[in-house]
Amino acid sequence: MGKAFVIDIAKCSGCYSCQTACKDEHCGNDWSPYAKPQPDIGQFWLHLKDDVQGSIPKVKVTYTPQLCNHCREPKCLPACPNGAIYRREDGFVLINPEKCVGCGACAKACPYGAIYGNKELGISQKCTGCAHLLDNGYKLPRCVENCPTDAIVFGEEEELKDLIRGAQVREPETGCRPRVYYRNVPGKFIAGLVYDPVEKEVIIGARCIAVTGGKIIETVTDEFGDFLFKDLAVGKYDVTIFADGYDEYYNFGIDLENSVNLGDIPMTPKTVTPEDIEAEERKKLIKTEGGNAANLF
Amino acid sequence: MINKKIDVKAQRKVFKAGSLMGPRSGNPTVVETDEQGKLTRIRPLDYTEYCDWESKNPWQIDAHGKTFTPPTRSVTANYYMTYKKRVYSENRVRYPLKRVDFDPDGERNTENRGKSRYVRISWDEATDIIAKELLRIKEKYGMSAVLSETDLHGEGKHVAPAHGCPNRLLSLLGGYTVQMRNLDSWEGFGWGSKNVWGSEPVGQLQPSGNVWPDVAKHADALLFWSADPETTAVGFDGYLASRMSYWLHSLGIKFIFVDPELNYCGCCQADKWIPVLPNTDAALYLAIIYTWLKEDTYDKEYVKTHAVGAEEFFDYVLGKVDGEPKTPEWASEKCGVSEWTIKALARYWAKKIVTVTVGNGGPGIRGPFSTEPARLQSICLGMQGLGKPGRFQVKWTEWNIFTPAYTIPYQGEEIINIPHRCEMVRPAEGITDDENTERGMFKLNPVAKAMPEIQQLCHTMPNAPQQFIPKCMIHDAILKDHIEWYGLDYFCSPAHTQWNKHEFPRPGCSRIHAVWTDSPCMTTCWNDGFNYVKAMRSPEIEFIVAQHPWLENDCYLADIILPVATRFEMDEISDDANSGIITSVFREYTACPPVGESLSDFDCVAEVAKKLGDEYYQAYTGGITDPEKIIELFWQGSGVAHLDKEDDYHKKDIFIMPVDPKYAEMLPGIRPFALDPENHPLKTPTGKLEFTSTAIEKHFPDDQERPPYPKWIEKSDLHDERLTSERAKKYPLLCMSNHGRWRFHANLDDITWHREAPTMKVRAKDGYQYEPVWMNPVTAKERGIEHGDIVKVFNERGTVLCGAYVTERIIPGAVSVDHGSRFDPIDAEGLDRGGAINLITPHAITSKTVTGMVVSGFLVEAQKVTDEEMEQWKKDYPHAFERKVDVACGVCLEGWMLGDKEGK
Repeated sequence: MGKAFVIDIAKCSGCYSCQTACKDEHCGNDWSPYAKPQPDIGQFWLHLKDDVQGSIPKVKVTYTPQLCNHCREPKCLPACPNGAIYRREDGFVLINPEKCVGCGACAKACPYGAIYGNKELGISQKCTGCAHLLDNGYKLPRCVENCPTDAIVFGEEEELKDLIRGAQVREPETGCRPRVYYRNVPGKFIAGLVYDPVEKEVIIGARCIAVTGGKIIETVTDEFGDFLFKDLAVGKYDVTIFADGYDEYYNFGIDLENSVNLGDIPMTPKTVTPEDIEAEERKKLIKTEGGNAANLF
Repeated sequence: MINKKIDVKAQRKVFKAGSLMGPRSGNPTVVETDEQGKLTRIRPLDYTEYCDWESKNPWQIDAHGKTFTPPTRSVTANYYMTYKKRVYSENRVRYPLKRVDFDPDGERNTENRGKSRYVRISWDEATDIIAKELLRIKEKYGMSAVLSETDLHGEGKHVAPAHGCPNRLLSLLGGYTVQMRNLDSWEGFGWGSKNVWGSEPVGQLQPSGNVWPDVAKHADALLFWSADPETTAVGFDGYLASRMSYWLHSLGIKFIFVDPELNYCGCCQADKWIPVLPNTDAALYLAIIYTWLKEDTYDKEYVKTHAVGAEEFFDYVLGKVDGEPKTPEWASEKCGVSEWTIKALARYWAKKIVTVTVGNGGPGIRGPFSTEPARLQSICLGMQGLGKPGRFQVKWTEWNIFTPAYTIPYQGEEIINIPHRCEMVRPAEGITDDENTERGMFKLNPVAKAMPEIQQLCHTMPNAPQQFIPKCMIHDAILKDHIEWYGLDYFCSPAHTQWNKHEFPRPGCSRIHAVWTDSPCMTTCWNDGFNYVKAMRSPEIEFIVAQHPWLENDCYLADIILPVATRFEMDEISDDANSGIITSVFREYTACPPVGESLSDFDCVAEVAKKLGDEYYQAYTGGITDPEKIIELFWQGSGVAHLDKEDDYHKKDIFIMPVDPKYAEMLPGIRPFALDPENHPLKTPTGKLEFTSTAIEKHFPDDQERPPYPKWIEKSDLHDERLTSERAKKYPLLCMSNHGRWRFHANLDDITWHREAPTMKVRAKDGYQYEPVWMNPVTAKERGIEHGDIVKVFNERGTVLCGAYVTERIIPGAVSVDHGSRFDPIDAEGLDRGGAINLITPHAITSKTVTGMVVSGFLVEAQKVTDEEMEQWKKDYPHAFERKVDVACGVCLEGWMLGDKEGK
């Protein structure tokens, strides 16, 4: 039970309205005992992270609003030597600015970098979930209310369960069990464009196959000769492209750490040589004789 | 229990409009303050708190089994939701200021404008100087020697408009010279497309009511041609465009972006990005048309019945006129798009149902010869059955400002038009005043017209300006003996005025000897800003007064600066007809006390009027000065008061207008023309789409830059800005410039919270936050530039320092710097640290007969600034480097003051 945030990455346009609404609420406003003022710059209780993937012209930017995960198993809470960090019934994990001495143990313990040190005030600070507002009749944290595309949703976890199903949390391996969920987190991509360098035409309908760890993914090029393998996991990929009348294109061992644009790929038109004709003849022969094609290799 | 109840609830809640569209306001927000009037927070307005939402009959769009409805709260631009920082900015002008070495009775030192600092003076002293100077100038040269630089945009207010107040007083004094705004954000559409399809007053396709629903139902693809719903729509209308783009994309409509950079909508949503070199779009369009002609894949029947002058234009495309067929191969070399992609785009467009989306601004519409890409876009649409289902040009903004038939479903015949106490621009004496212009926004609606007190408040002042100067030619008007130009009789005046010839000075009128500005952003938003500085430093310009809430940009050129209060510091009334969500009128109460000694724009001028004598003051104010009374009058004269049956305006401070249920019945946009061109003609001379313009043929048949039909213009006497130019050997990069995402033109560059966004500013190793210059890693590597380096962007006109933003989101061979970063002069006539790219934009107008500006698609070079070079500048210009720069806000008041920001 408790509150949760569900963030739909596919709806985030990167406008920073969440990051700045947080500052509007907390910079220059003292909400003790929930929180002391956030410094005007340098702290991001909600930080909008941008990630640019690919290369021209296959580029995609993903924006991810990152805030305190208000974890069920927070690392910060037990790390605090002064008992300044506490969890509320609604699940929010808060730092009491009156008890905090700014030792920074919590910030070191948090695997998400969500806690900031405030030297001037001698305290550690972070997202409060706008608990001071929710306790006083406001319905939503400021970042949620100010999101123009409704990418951030907030509410009782139970009521959000349909949205949470299939959603991810940041770095689940930390064991912190965050209450901030992300939907539609994109994977990496491999993209490119296939064309005929002699005719100077894109090739539409070319079969594009990516193989990774025995798994085969297939797509075809569209009206622009474009292909896109999306939502891929990090790993090694072998890409092969087949188009009628062209030599196959191979690009094996693509190390997909970040998304890859294979660029405009010129396909070599098949040239017909005497050997080709001979090979065709032999194929026919084998067929008629009911032979096994494998014997040829 | 630690969480005891604390007092987080604001003591007061007031509405404030979040839009800098001006003169209209729009986008209501809720501002919460504490007891002392300190701003606590700014929140979206939740309409459901103030009305029964369903009873307002909200509009909706249905397509493919999905429904789009407007949000039930305002979705206002990120930078208005942080307006608290603007109100309390380190950049705020708090007191009247005088340039320290300006002595109206002695040495004026005009050459030190943009260099010398300011001292605090009293209101009494400031208004004394202004009144005396005005009378002296009048006596010596006549009132036409005073240039009024008042303009649109800014805080759209009605009782105390942000712009135009000086005009009332200048008119009473006998007149003035008015600066006529050119079509800054849509030059090509206004001067080009209008001659293809009419579409008064702006030039983008009109009418456009119910076009979006039609597009949602029928279009296969949206072609974003230099269009970004995440930037240019936001400053006027907030994020409705953003929400709609996500919905349209969810329908499976393909999003194709043609742009030198992958803009903010594109970087999240593009299915296809076709990078094109800045201002080479015309070549791309021509090759598309060539492909259609060769492959016979355009709507021939439609062209036959709906267009004139097609054959001669097609002959040009096919090379029959100049021996040069406009093939994809020909275009590819010019625009940087591969032949195969050009052909694929042409075929896709021919085969599928495509709508072109545009905005204001964008790199495609503000370059040299911008009429040509605009006209070619219109012709492309015409060749594919413009107006048929899913085939339109549609705009992401201005949902409802010019006519009720704007893009979002019709919100009723009754449109709001709250009176304005001032007019920002007014036609000069003898110029025909056409109803069909943007001036319509200032005209009183019939209800207001019938109210004598409103007549008394808002009547047109006695003397029209004696002459006018196009805003893009102000520097020429001052530095040259005599100038001539065509058109721009009035802002957004109809196409038939484009052939009128004008001159400055007019016979019997004076040259300019004084300037009064309330929109001081020529250096940051217009053409050849460094030359504008030079003009303003001329000893001929004896006196400059600026009134502005913030000390920025052209303010540094002023001799006297008056401190202006923001809308948060005053009572107002606003209308929201442009957020597109739902139409409303709301009362704005004062949110916080005025900062320093600031007064509203209206009252600043009133203080000067007082010094001229009570008769001036009475005439200036119209005898009614109580804001409460004026606001009530304006509500009564809003044109919609009679619809407010429950008196919500007075009870709830907001009247939310119901949507006319008939909205869905209107045929989309120019569908009637598509169906029956004879009976529903366009506003062109022939009533048809004019592939060859009959008007240009008649008036300027030999125009080489805007010929009767659109062409690829390589260069002309005015502009030589191609990569093939000799100039490109020295300046080998094409610079593009768009409207910024983190500010509205030159407004809001000082919001400390946005300055932390990685694409807003780049903090370099010297700690200064530089304006980003986007460059591809290839471009950067060629120059040994790394991300975050201090870079000088320069050409013959000067040097602007930027911070390298190395990104895959821009085509190699181009750089991009958004306009509007604040001017921070090192040498005010040639070297700027603030990244105000318009300081080095081309000087000349769009083309000889087109009085527009060129602020994108021009040649520059970009180089890393070495430590030695920076040290040398510090030695050469110590005064510039001694100015305080705030670590978070950048350029700040204190840097320009002698003493601290209190003037001590």
